[in-house]
Amino acid sequence: MKKGVIITLPQSDDVTEYLVAFFNPILDEISKYGIIVKLLRKEEVTRANFENTIKSYDYNAVFFNGHGDIDCITGHKQEEIILAGENESLLLGRIIYARSCWAAEGLGKSIIGRDNSGCFIGFNIPFMFLYDVTRISNPIKDHIAEIFFETANMAPLSIIKGKTSGEAHESSKNAMLKSIRKALLKKDKDSEAIAEALWNNYSGQVLLGNPEATL
Amino acid sequence: MKRESSSEENEINKKLKEIVIARINARMSPNLKLSMGASGSLDKGEMIEHVLKGDELGNQIIKVHLNFMKAQSTGELTKALNTLA
Repeated sequence: MKKGVIITLPQSDDVTEYLVAFFNPILDEISKYGIIVKLLRKEEVTRANFENTIKSYDYNAVFFNGHGDIDCITGHKQEEIILAGENESLLLGRIIYARSCWAAEGLGKSIIGRDNSGCFIGFNIPFMFLYDVTRISNPIKDHIAEIFFETANMAPLSIIKGKTSGEAHESSKNAMLKSIRKALLKKDKDSEAIAEALWNNYSGQVLLGNPEATL
Repeated sequence: MKRESSSEENEINKKLKEIVIARINARMSPNLKLSMGASGSLDKGEMIEHVLKGDELGNQIIKVHLNFMKAQSTGELTKALNTLA
């Protein structure tokens, strides 16, 4: 395996538009740290293309943005690009971050159950975020959604900065707690709803496998 | 006896839905939507509809509310916040 990151960035609905918009700050950081990266964007995020990419580039980390279910993570137009029991072996021994609903529960456990030298940071419940519909044409200006993505971004960002998977996971969870505290202290109309959805993500983000894995 | 407990259960479920709906109504601006991944993004009215129907999405919303209420009432949330520097 070589040091580098494969990143999936599907953009085929409102949710994936938001995932990608708020992943861009991480791409800026990656270039600062000189990390080699292979991006799969929009219609490039198909199963065939993902499989070919990981086989040919063989990078030691994969960051997924996309929808998910217990046994899979999807790409463009919700095509299943990685599926437990089918092509999960492509991820064995790697550092995986999956901003996808549920995937840690089945897919993550299955991968780490076969090889725990790598790690899987993801969610064992739906990853939730609130967003402002008046900002949908320009998600990056959505300061409500920003709270959810900035906190979740701490995990992949920390990995890029050379932290261990355990530190990255904790950094993200701490950021979620700080934002919960900030929301509850603010006490405006949406504060409790924000804190509640953040608590959902805090409770559901898990690190499976090796907590000492580094890029 | 069985019928009575089933009726009690229904009453509890009904009350639970009422609490969750009241919380959604009181604590979410009309311009906000909740994204629940591939299951969709819901505005306030749609969230309430799913809770009333008691479908998969509605039950997921109820679970999120219950988890937060439980974390607040058991002190789990305070304990977690106290770990922050």
